[in-house]
Amino acid sequence: MSLWALVCSLIPFELGQGLGVTGKYFLRKKTTVQYPEKKMEPTDRFRGMFGFSEERCIVCHACAKACPIDIIHIQDHFVELEVDGKKKKKKVLDRYDIDVKRCMFCGLCEEACPTAPVSIWLTTKTYETATYERNEQLYFTKERLQNWQGVSAYPGVLAPNAGMLPEDPMGTKPKAAPAEPAGKEGA
Amino acid sequence: MTTPWMTYLLIPLIKIVVILVVLILLAAYLSWFERRILAFMQIRIGPNRVWPKGWLQAIADALKLFSKEDVIPARAEKLVFLLGPVLATAPALIVFSVIPFGPSDLLRLTDVNIGILFILGVASVGIYGIILGGWASNNKFSLMGGLRSAAQLISYEVPMGFAVVTVVLMANSLSLVKIVEAQKAQHVWFAFPGWLAIPGLIAFFIYFICGVAETNRNPFDLPEAESELVAGFHTEYSGMKFAFYFLAEYANMVVIASIATVLFLGGWLRPFPNVAALAFLDVIPPIVWFFAKVAVFLFVYIWFRGTFPRYRFDQLMALGWKVFIPVSLINLMAVGLGILLLGGPR
Repeated sequence: MSLWALVCSLIPFELGQGLGVTGKYFLRKKTTVQYPEKKMEPTDRFRGMFGFSEERCIVCHACAKACPIDIIHIQDHFVELEVDGKKKKKKVLDRYDIDVKRCMFCGLCEEACPTAPVSIWLTTKTYETATYERNEQLYFTKERLQNWQGVSAYPGVLAPNAGMLPEDPMGTKPKAAPAEPAGKEGA
Repeated sequence: MTTPWMTYLLIPLIKIVVILVVLILLAAYLSWFERRILAFMQIRIGPNRVWPKGWLQAIADALKLFSKEDVIPARAEKLVFLLGPVLATAPALIVFSVIPFGPSDLLRLTDVNIGILFILGVASVGIYGIILGGWASNNKFSLMGGLRSAAQLISYEVPMGFAVVTVVLMANSLSLVKIVEAQKAQHVWFAFPGWLAIPGLIAFFIYFICGVAETNRNPFDLPEAESELVAGFHTEYSGMKFAFYFLAEYANMVVIASIATVLFLGGWLRPFPNVAALAFLDVIPPIVWFFAKVAVFLFVYIWFRGTFPRYRFDQLMALGWKVFIPVSLINLMAVGLGILLLGGPR
């Protein structure tokens, strides 16, 4: 080893290399999104605030059973209906309450839902669910579940046709245009 | 017009107030600059909310620290605990009394003929604040932080002193003003001219790296290593006492940067002060040159923090004792021998 190589090996050029990397990043374009002014749209499978459609719900209680922390409370009663001259019993939803403050957004209720499209879903892309009071404001009755006040970030996403659709089983393409409620399953 | 009363009391008092205010604001804003620069290196934006564009962030931080509860641990040594932040902060501020910001008498508080000795002596007292604060907290982590600080001081003060003595040999003076003037007389801005350039450069790097170690900054921030010592010597400090430790650290950074500027980068001089072709650079006043150089040093400090991981403690000691002390000693002897044989700058 020549003397010059020895001297060179003593000078820590690697440190300069490291400084070069941070220096390059210093000048790079910043990736921060300035949140309250600018918002990023979550991915299509992002689990956010609940969406619920009373028209699709068949009151089967599957979501309440699937819920690991039992925060979905369902009450129903039967009504007598005459369809084509036959008497039929039909379940009618009285209460459908979700205690969102305890929800961990596991999505098991959505998986358990037998209707297509699902009548309870979490892919509403809404994450701004902060409130100043948790017991009242984060307790969602079925009316509030279908018409949020105070937690809506993307108005229009909560259309009845949003969420998981049959032709779109992974829910990658939520429909933006709200369709008219068909009322087929409704009482 | 100029009575003794004015020359000895009023003007120095005004200078002291101005220096103190500027230094404290500089130290406070350095924390904001640090956060911004670190954020930029991590492709973030950093604090930019406090009106306007985050420029008042430092003031907001100070106000927050004022309003924090001032906790003294029950089993702490109260007097020493209170003394710690004071001992850490005061020397860092005192050092500025001898640093020349410009060529005229108005731009410095005083020119002591043993300026650099004064700085080394006073700045070393600052470490007592850390050691005593760490001990008085009655906390294992704080004590460990204080001990590490003491060990670090002993290891790094020595090569730093050797590097400074090298400069003193080259400039043939201990006064900071004379050192800058010697750099002008020897007509080169960076380090020193001719064959003195190489030892000057070595002394410069040793001084700066030891300065980083002296101020407990990354990658030598062992006394306050978060991942092992919680917060080191200031684990138990809160509110304004913590703010004073913070102020001391940042003021010390400014001190080290200023001294490095004065000793090695020609203080208030413009680049190549004797090259006539660059005379147009004299449009920029000397004090701006001084602070521009200090700013470069401070940026490098923060750049280091954004780049290098922390040393292990034995590595730190090995670097101090096995590399810096021998290299700076040999460097010093080479310069002394060279001046003796070749006839140095007189």
